Amino acid sequence: MMKKLYTLLLVLFAGSLTAQIDRTQMPKPGPAPEINLEDPQRFELKNGLKVLVVENHKLPRVSVQLRIDNPPIAEGDKSGVSSLTGSLLGKGSKSISKDDFNEEIDFLGARLNFGAQSAFASSLSKYFPRILELMADAAINPNFTQEEFDKEKDKLITGLKTQEKDVKAIAGRVQRALAYGTDHPYGEFTTETTVNNVKLADVIQFYDNYFVPANAYLVIIGDVNLEETKELVETHFTPWTKAVPPSFQFSKPSDVQYTQISFVDVPNAVQSEISVQNLVNLKMKDEDYLSGLMANEILGGGGEGRLFLNLREDKGYTYGSYSGLGDDKYAPSRFRAVASVRNAVTDSSVVELLKEIDKIRETPVTAEELKNTKAKYVGRFVMALEDPETIARYALNIETEDLPKDFYKTYLEKLNAISVTDVQNAAQKYFSSDNARVVVTGKGSEVLENLQKVAVNGKTVPVKYFDKYAAPTEKPNYEAAEMPAGFGIKDVMNNYIKAVGGKAKLEGVNSYVLIAEAEMQGMKLNLEQKKTSKNQSMTDVKVMGNSMSKQVLNNETGYVVMQGQRKEMDEAELKKTREESAPFPELGYLNGGVALDGMEDVNGKKAYKVKVSEEKTLYYDVETGLKVQEVTKAEMMGQQMTTTTTYSDYREVQGIMFPYSIAQTVGPQSFEFIVSEIKINEGVTDADFE
Amino acid sequence: MKRKLLVALPFLFVGWVMQAQEVAYEEYDLDNGLHVILHKDNTAPLVTTSVMYHVGGKDRTEGRTGFAHFFEHLLFEGTKNVGKGEWFKIVASNGGKNNANTSQDRTYYYEVFPSNNLQLGLWLESERMLHPIIDQTGIDTQQEVVKEEKRLRYDNSPYGQFLYAIGKNLFKVHPYKDPNIGYMADLDAATLEDVIAYNKKYYVPNNAVLVVAGDFETASTKKMISDYFSAIPKGDDIVRSYPKEEPITEQINATFYDPNIQIPASMIAYRTPGFTEREAYVLDMLSTYLSDGRSSKLYKKMVDDQKQALQVGAFNIGQEDYSMYVVFALPVGETTLEVLNTEMEEEIAKVRTELISENDYQKLLNKFENQFVNSNSSVEGIANSLARYYMLYGDTALINKEIEVYRSITREEIKEVANKFLNPNQRLVLSYLPEDTAQN
Repeated sequence: MMKKLYTLLLVLFAGSLTAQIDRTQMPKPGPAPEINLEDPQRFELKNGLKVLVVENHKLPRVSVQLRIDNPPIAEGDKSGVSSLTGSLLGKGSKSISKDDFNEEIDFLGARLNFGAQSAFASSLSKYFPRILELMADAAINPNFTQEEFDKEKDKLITGLKTQEKDVKAIAGRVQRALAYGTDHPYGEFTTETTVNNVKLADVIQFYDNYFVPANAYLVIIGDVNLEETKELVETHFTPWTKAVPPSFQFSKPSDVQYTQISFVDVPNAVQSEISVQNLVNLKMKDEDYLSGLMANEILGGGGEGRLFLNLREDKGYTYGSYSGLGDDKYAPSRFRAVASVRNAVTDSSVVELLKEIDKIRETPVTAEELKNTKAKYVGRFVMALEDPETIARYALNIETEDLPKDFYKTYLEKLNAISVTDVQNAAQKYFSSDNARVVVTGKGSEVLENLQKVAVNGKTVPVKYFDKYAAPTEKPNYEAAEMPAGFGIKDVMNNYIKAVGGKAKLEGVNSYVLIAEAEMQGMKLNLEQKKTSKNQSMTDVKVMGNSMSKQVLNNETGYVVMQGQRKEMDEAELKKTREESAPFPELGYLNGGVALDGMEDVNGKKAYKVKVSEEKTLYYDVETGLKVQEVTKAEMMGQQMTTTTTYSDYREVQGIMFPYSIAQTVGPQSFEFIVSEIKINEGVTDADFE
Repeated sequence: MKRKLLVALPFLFVGWVMQAQEVAYEEYDLDNGLHVILHKDNTAPLVTTSVMYHVGGKDRTEGRTGFAHFFEHLLFEGTKNVGKGEWFKIVASNGGKNNANTSQDRTYYYEVFPSNNLQLGLWLESERMLHPIIDQTGIDTQQEVVKEEKRLRYDNSPYGQFLYAIGKNLFKVHPYKDPNIGYMADLDAATLEDVIAYNKKYYVPNNAVLVVAGDFETASTKKMISDYFSAIPKGDDIVRSYPKEEPITEQINATFYDPNIQIPASMIAYRTPGFTEREAYVLDMLSTYLSDGRSSKLYKKMVDDQKQALQVGAFNIGQEDYSMYVVFALPVGETTLEVLNTEMEEEIAKVRTELISENDYQKLLNKFENQFVNSNSSVEGIANSLARYYMLYGDTALINKEIEVYRSITREEIKEVANKFLNPNQRLVLSYLPEDTAQN
């Protein structure tokens, strides 16, 4: 029996087989597999909706994607209208209330989401007819109400507000605006003002103009059959009125004449956001599209990319540095090499980024590099294919990007055929050394001096200045922030003491209790702090009623309890805690030990900068005299951690001004403690510090 | 009106129920006893090669705990033809990924590659089965790695030791009483001879199942499997005769101290039948009923309405010989563990005395159906399920039939099973406390 089988097998493989396998040799990969992507079935409705159906009966489930492939839309002074349209879609329809709509989708275990020009749904196949019906109904008969509009508008504005000082958000906005110009759809941005210009009528107008079937694709993947699907789609989507969106001409963006730094001053930045960018004219259907992807992958595609290896692994400037190469059929896209780096190494990072771009343009990549990158890329590409959403995207790309029918089927072969020369050619074509715009968003007072000295190939790179909304501006003048003559540290302290209530009042404070609350990821944080003028302090932070960390100082002794573990303070810690234990350390600063270190902007206002130690800096508002910020630095596991505490909302308690808002930012986390109670000279006993 | 509408909905689609979703596979044995399962799916050009060995934490002798998990590490050290430390590099530079994991019952190794590297995957797994390098250096290295892992995942991890704490109280004689990762003293005491003997006993073709799932051509794949695996010598038959536990008839009270937590937890646990038993499926449904989702009984009552618990959960820890059914809660503020226990027992008692509602029952079925469909959504996941159903359940076809088991469970049966296994005199009540409290 066995023998027979073997004979049969040998016959089958006669052509390709040579004797026994040799297991001492690692098997070589076979030829790049062809991707078994079925061609989607396709039909079109009279209103212009194009439908792609990929039957896949492996699992009894279906995904449906609606995408309207309109050219870019300029929203101008009503920027935000598309975002609002997306938020308002999918909230029921003219005939089904929002609650009933959501309830039914949940019960069916399905998903259905809308964007401004898109929709996505997934469900078990037995519920597909109903889900498709709900999708069509919500898409064609949306129920736009003033109430929902107001809610969504509030949400959008709140979102914008939280981003106001967000260095990454500012950097992203300016990077796009500088690349395209603010009147280009890709360069414009949404602000509170533009959102406030949007009325419900504008949303309806936007929907009427652009949510139309002319450029719309419906991609259905999964356990369906064409006949039934066709019938369902025709039934539900035929009522969609035929229309073509309005079209516009846009200014043509261009790169800078010579490589230059565009600097955006954000005084609260503790990291600089760097983007070395240039425009590229790259479409997916271009011959060298994949070579471009390879070049980018080698330069900065991930943890094995050169940027990562250089700026993180070798230099330790950043947590990560990457590059990206965009493609777009309507307008130029961007090449970007990016890094978020510590202030102190901003200039060095710019140099390294430019160097790496230069290098991949000038020197061929190694064969090994190309081989491993291909393997990695192939693996990733192949694994992604299993996801039906990827398959949908590919089918759609072939249609919308005007790609050859076998584009994805031959993808791996094409990838494998790419040579070292192809990669270099693509690098030279798409990554610019001579016309690069280096957008640096960061704290000018700390990074600018060195940034102005950045030189490439012996030539200094000029720096130009922009504000947070990408408008050209003057170089920030830190010189002007000089003290009035004769003004010294004592004046800062006296101003503060006067502002909060006067020396006599402060000296009358023997103890105080402060109770505050913050919210973090939906959890309540409770802060209780007690201090006395006798070197005693106690700070207890509770999470949902359980102590998370507690710090207690009682003259010569002190301890910290973190997560239930108690640790005694050592000498250095005791010293530091003692310095901070006084209810008003400023009284002590009057006797010296701290230094005035110029002026800086704190949240848009001038403030005196007072250096307490290498690790600690305080800021006092020039106008009001009040303490507005405290910045402390600490080493944690080899990483520099900066904690910024902002004090505001000063209120009077028994003649003394206390900040009722204490906002803290540590790394990526930030939370705001709101004070609920302050008691002076009561509620504190020695027992609190045991 | 509303409720009626919802109940009516499923019936509208009755004609559609149970279409498709057939995971096609074929299976056969090699002469050396290696069971092979092939699942062909050419949708995406990737292929999973995996081997499940029927060896887990429970397969050990007294004083030699944690061996299976230790081997999970050891068997990446290299083979006669795969250099030391080369395994991961080979996989990455060929566009693949790989990993392994160990339970009390089995060990699972797998790679996922683009399909043109199927041969590479088979070669790697056959190398591992045929002639792994087992030497003192490897043992020394991996002992340290495992200790690090133990520190990271159990000793330093909040609530990381709860499984062990429950196991040691629910079991007196069966190996489930010891932690899967083992006692470090046992690992330290392991000699090279012990380790080689363990390998020879368990990591043999007749104690393994090889799954190839994904994009491949059947005839040539069978040929390759034969080429790489047929020559691996068959091992001795393995006899597992672990001691049986006496039924629990009186509530067990126990306390466990965890230095990594501040919020205590109350855990109620029951010893329940092994996962192949129908009753285990019923208990799965019961845990979903009690604690899956915001409308589930325990969550809604204790977290949402009464705000007594920070978190509450019920789950069935399925194992081959016996399972463990655990209900737990973490208190909010001043709530005592006793109150939590009372509240949890109240809901469990309801299941023992009343039928769950028709509507809740329908919701359960919907949830399990969704879960079932999505459990087979990736080839990687299917490979794992096929291996598991064959090796541990003894029925590969369960991959397509398991949902029928759930569907056939009635409301009456749920009540019956709760009555049979979830009585107060059959339970362990474990106070899982912060270490600090113990010292004060």
